[in-house]
Parts: sequence; structure tokens; C-alpha cells
Amino acid sequence: MEVTVLVQATDKAFEILEKARNEARELLYSSAKLTSETKSLAERRQARAFLSGAQQSKLALRNFTIAFFVLFAFWILLSARFDYFHLTLGIICSMLVAYMSHDLLFSNIRLGDVRIKARRFFAAAPWFLGQIFSANLHVAYLALSPKMPVDPQIIRFKTKLESDISWVALANSITLTPGTITVDIREGEFFVHALDRKVAYELSTGQMEDKIAHVLMEADHVYIQDVLDVSRIFGALK
Amino acid sequence: MSKEDEKGMSLIVKTITRLTVGLILLYGLYIVFHGHGSPGGGFTGGVIIALSFIHLMLAYGKEVAFRKLSEAAASFFVSLGAILFLAIALLGFTGGYFFLNFIPKGEPFRLFSAGIIPLCDIAIGLIVGAGLFAIFVALVSLKLEPERKE
Repeated sequence: MEVTVLVQATDKAFEILEKARNEARELLYSSAKLTSETKSLAERRQARAFLSGAQQSKLALRNFTIAFFVLFAFWILLSARFDYFHLTLGIICSMLVAYMSHDLLFSNIRLGDVRIKARRFFAAAPWFLGQIFSANLHVAYLALSPKMPVDPQIIRFKTKLESDISWVALANSITLTPGTITVDIREGEFFVHALDRKVAYELSTGQMEDKIAHVLMEADHVYIQDVLDVSRIFGALK
Repeated sequence: MSKEDEKGMSLIVKTITRLTVGLILLYGLYIVFHGHGSPGGGFTGGVIIALSFIHLMLAYGKEVAFRKLSEAAASFFVSLGAILFLAIALLGFTGGYFFLNFIPKGEPFRLFSAGIIPLCDIAIGLIVGAGLFAIFVALVSLKLEPERKE
């Protein structure tokens, strides 16, 4: 009897030991992976800094030409006359403006795959329009119902979108949807004012962010960090 | 650029400004150059040109706007526009009197028509564009010291 108990106890002890060993090994692996990742990131950054001196002028030239063509297309759209005098004047003006604003127009845009982006945009546009339509109906319901069941709150969440263009696209599409307004973006953290809990919940599912990540070809994850309840603050103030 | 410069407005305003400011400037130039054949003219186009720089200054702060158009350049363009306008007016004396149209009038609705009016438009555009920007800069950066009450 005692022997069997002893054997069982030792077995359990061994199991626990093995578990602990496995956990320690996993921890070690993960820490090693993390350090290697940070090291590779640092190396990449160094390489980029080394290359940037040589690449900067090339990049500026590319930005200048692209900005020039965009602006010249805009000029032709405005002018709509095709004799030499108009076109040369347009070329001169576009070159002047491109020289002044090329670093602004294309400071942080990744080119290439424009066609895929355009196709995805047109594929996603009906979804956005439908979202705006349903949100309109919901806000109209909130405004017209006699009790006005609004429950204003500010949601704070962090996006996994990376470039500022996609941040702004997300912020503007949130603002465009009735009931939600983007108050501020601080280093990838969005502050969104939502009119009631349903709107906030729809926002927190991160569907819109996924769509924008899909259109602009970026990572697609979202998690709510926390919900600040504005009504509570208002109540405290009263 | 937007991540380094912490001055100015929020990221949304900055990015939209970044994308639109060139188009606004080009539109102002278009209005100036087509003023005699279509709606617009020197003053309107000049205001739009000035607004593009003011827009930049509002969104990004003073330094970025001055990198594009410094105070010295603005004052230079104001003076240049005024001198050009006066010179065009004085050149009328070659035909007889002040502000005489000394260039052949040309066909209507062409870009190069209407005699001296497009040249005047360009001069006025320079004055208004740079001058309005300079006025805005003066309003922003100069502070009147409050008078001391004795």
C-alpha cells in the first residue's frame, strides 16, 4: 500500500518536473526568438540608414516625376485645351508646383500594386456605402425616438495599421459613418466618440479596419484596449 | 515628415494637407493664367495661392511653411509684382498714355489674348499671393505688447 502511494507520488513529482522543464525550455526559446528579432530589426535599420544617403536623391527624383505627372493630369483636366501654348504653360506650372510640393505629396507612400488596390477599393466601396446607410438609419432612430436612448462614450483602441495614410483612411471612414467621430490619433491609438453602445460595439468588431487593411494591403488585427465611459464622467461632473 | 514634426494639428489634418496642398497651388496658378478667358483672375488666383501656403502653415507650423516660401521671398514677390504692374502701366506711354494696351488684342477665349490683361493678372497674382501670405505671417508672428496702464 505504502509502496504504491510512494510510487505514485514519485511519478507525479517526475511529471511536475518535466512540465516545469518544458515550460522553462519554451520560455528560453521565446526569449531567444525575441532577441534575434530585435537584433535583425536593428540591423535592418542600420542598413536603411546606410543606404538612405545614396537613395535619397533617387527617391526625390522619382517623387518629383510622379508628382509632376499627377499635377499635369490635373492641369489638363482643368484646362481642357490641347494647343502647344497651353500645354507648355501647364508643364511649366506643374514642374514649379511639383518642385515645391513633391516631398509633401509622396513622403510616405509605397508604390506598386496600385491596380490591385484600385480593384479592391471598388470591391469594398459598396460595403462602406451600405455601412453608412445602415448607420444613418440607426442615428435617425436614435434622434427620433422620444426617449433619445443615446449613451455617448469614447472608445480608445490601438490599430495594427502601419502607415499614416491608412490611419487617416480609417479615421475618415469612421467619421464618415454617422454616429462615430474620430477625435484624435496618437501614435496608432484612436480616440473615437460613439453615440451609443450598439455603434461602439459595431466599431469594436474591427470590421472596418479589416476592410481598410485589405484595401491598402496591410496587417489586419484589432483589439479594444478599454472603453472610457463618458456618461459616467458627465454624471460625476453634475 | 509628419512623424518628426510634433508641431501643428493632428495627424488627420496633416496627411490631408500633405495630399492636397500641391493641387490647391496648381489650381491657383490655373486661375491666374486663365483669368481673362474664364472666371477668375489675378486677385482670385492670388488668394488661392496664398491659401495653399497658409493651409500648410496652419497644419504643420511655421517652419515647414517658411521652408517653402520664406518671409524674404514673400516680400520679394510682393515688390516684384508691384513693379511689374507699374511697368506694364508705364509701358502704355509707348503708345500714348497710361495703361494703354500696346499688345495686339488677339482672338477672344484664347490664352494669349486680351492684350496686357493676362500680364496684369500675373502681376496681381504675385502681389496678392505673396502679400496675403505676408499679412497672415504678420498676424501670426507679430504680437502687440499691451500698453501699460499708468
